Amino acid sequence: MSRFSRIERYSRAAHNTARRLRDSVAGESPVAVALVTVMALSLFAGLVGFLLVSSLTAIPLAIAIVAAATGWIRYQELTAKVLAGTMTVSTLLILVLIAGFILWESIPVLRYESVTVYGTEIPGVRMFIQTRWDAVSAPVRYSMVPLIHGTLLVTLISTAVAAPLGVAAALFLSEIAPRPVRELVKPGVEILAGIPSIVYGFIGFTILNPWAVEQFNLNGGGTYLFVGMVVGLMALPTVVSVAEDALSSVPESMKSGSLAMGTTDWQTMVSITIPAAFSGVSAAVLLGVGRAIGETMAATVMLANTPRLTEPLVNVFYGQATLTSLIASSYGSARGNQLSALFAAGAILFITVLTLSIGSQYIEARMRRKLGGEV
Amino acid sequence: MKYYKSLYSDSDTYLVMTAETGNSGVSRRKFLVTSGVVGAAGLAGCSNAANDGSGGSDGDSGGSEDTATDAPEESGGSSPEPVTAEGSSTVYPIANSGSSYWNSNPPSDDGEYWGENSEGSVPGWDELASNGADGMRLADYFASLYGFEPTEEFATPPFSTRVGLSHSGTGCEAVVDGLVDIGNSSGPITAELGWSESEADERVVDHVLGRDGQPVVVSSGIYDAGVTQLSGEEVRGIYQGDITNWSEVGGPDQPIYVIGRAEGSGTDTSFRLNMLGDADAEMDVDTRFGQNQQVAQAVQQNDGAIAYMALAFTGPEVQPIGIDFDGTLYEPDRDAENTIFDSAYPLNRDLHQYTTITEETPSGTDRREGAFMNMFLTTFGQEVFVESNNYIPLPTADIESELAKLPDQS
Repeated sequence: MSRFSRIERYSRAAHNTARRLRDSVAGESPVAVALVTVMALSLFAGLVGFLLVSSLTAIPLAIAIVAAATGWIRYQELTAKVLAGTMTVSTLLILVLIAGFILWESIPVLRYESVTVYGTEIPGVRMFIQTRWDAVSAPVRYSMVPLIHGTLLVTLISTAVAAPLGVAAALFLSEIAPRPVRELVKPGVEILAGIPSIVYGFIGFTILNPWAVEQFNLNGGGTYLFVGMVVGLMALPTVVSVAEDALSSVPESMKSGSLAMGTTDWQTMVSITIPAAFSGVSAAVLLGVGRAIGETMAATVMLANTPRLTEPLVNVFYGQATLTSLIASSYGSARGNQLSALFAAGAILFITVLTLSIGSQYIEARMRRKLGGEV
Repeated sequence: MKYYKSLYSDSDTYLVMTAETGNSGVSRRKFLVTSGVVGAAGLAGCSNAANDGSGGSDGDSGGSEDTATDAPEESGGSSPEPVTAEGSSTVYPIANSGSSYWNSNPPSDDGEYWGENSEGSVPGWDELASNGADGMRLADYFASLYGFEPTEEFATPPFSTRVGLSHSGTGCEAVVDGLVDIGNSSGPITAELGWSESEADERVVDHVLGRDGQPVVVSSGIYDAGVTQLSGEEVRGIYQGDITNWSEVGGPDQPIYVIGRAEGSGTDTSFRLNMLGDADAEMDVDTRFGQNQQVAQAVQQNDGAIAYMALAFTGPEVQPIGIDFDGTLYEPDRDAENTIFDSAYPLNRDLHQYTTITEETPSGTDRREGAFMNMFLTTFGQEVFVESNNYIPLPTADIESELAKLPDQS
């Protein structure tokens, strides 16, 4: 798709939106328009008041409620439209404010960890070029490298667990299993996704950790290997569920066409269904990875939470700390730069998971475009 | 704490819902509705907090004592001002349970909270009864020692008490600024506010009503193998990475699993200060935990573990050991010559309650504060408010020197 056509598309969409707005207002009485304008403006004023922690916030909010109630009774359609619009805007606004807050809070540590190169100060670089994390004794350093390393190891291991198991289970459910089995198992898998992560963490801490101590003669027991496996099991339902959706959205006509050519069921699966659903299945794995990266409780209770690189780097029989586990284990006692460093870890997580989730949505959208699937 | 918890559960909900967005629009809608409700609840929480901040002089701690606190205020201006306290979460359990008992003003035939009846009596009741407590309600009795009129009413003490929960530094600032009567602090005010000793002596009186202790513990296997005591030097070596095997300190040939507490927490800081000699001392530990329960669990699960933790969590699997500091052996036994319960034991810290020296009260402690604090310095107070909250009660000598700081009884 060329750049030009995309710009054209956007401008047309904007034009359409403007026209629709005009149309919806055109037919209304000026009183109604004034009423919803007052409602929207006072809601906005309420938000500003809330952000400034003003004691006058109640006044615009009360006005908004009165305006909304009056509007609902007298001009329901227009009021409902405007209300729904403001709700959407506020959802987006909340997300933007949260993201902004996390970044804002991590500024002090970025300043602290700045490095001077040829006379210019580059903030935050020292968090990535050395590996010491020590919030108390000199030299105080907040390196993100050990945390990123821990998160990376856990994520890789959990993907190695969740991806093959999840995709295989999805294939079985979608293509092989008889209908009653599928009807039973699919909701079951989705219920699995609802088990709180602390339950997995608790099992890991009380059963896997002591077992690992005994079997591998370890000091401590919380290893990246077992945390990765536990987190992989947690991400499994996500992968199964989304991959199954992708596989079953491959049009029946494609499979029938293949079968009509005389292929077996298995040949159809391997040469038609999986390639056709490939991007959807990748999106499922990416979503699972996103879950693994953001997983907190299991990692927190199982790991040692002393940020440090392992020796050698690929040694998974250590369990130091991940981005999430360090935040969860030390927010209570962190102050000043240490707290800010935890926010910086949060910002890294936020950006990573955001990238993954946008990536998986892009892949999903591509799949839909390519197949015109019936999702 | 609650706030963060709800964040966790929200993120979980979010992830679960993303997993389902592929196939059901209904659940997405449901999710939005649910999150709306959660959001509304959050907002409600916020506005409550705001009201608390603007309305009262301190954060009221909620719970059963609330109603008790409010009652005497309604009864008019004749009763004395309530005693307010604010500060450390470590001191809070002691002060708050004392405050709850005080505000409910139970009768002497209650048996469970005060006095005695056919079913039993409170600890130290005989001593109190012989001093005239028999037949009097709890707060009535302790207040009358300092000349306040008994009310003889349930939930209406002669004056009420309120304890707020924040941090040691906040408590110290609040009491110095005159916002509250008592500042609770788990560290000395000199460290919290950066004062000199002489400035602290001039401006505040330091009351110690109980002690927080951190015995050093080892796994039962190590204890059974003969490591029942270590010298201060050895503990320092273990926590700074110089000693890594139990065989170096007379134990079995086994690597040491060193457990510390969350970086920068009060417990971590006081351990570095008291054990390693400096609040910024370098430490080399294998793992850090935020809570005593986790420490206890880890010590049980690992054969070669060493840790420091609150006394209440020790047991047969988690053995406290004796520590030899410069020739003095502090044993984990209450009857020994030097015990880990002594104030001289370096890992114990006093729990402070500060009152300010003002022009009206040059002694630093007025009669209301004296009446309230005196309650904690009885056998009853030490057992019910200090020991049952898993803190270390004061030895008799310390109780006498603490009583001497209070105003004379009438």
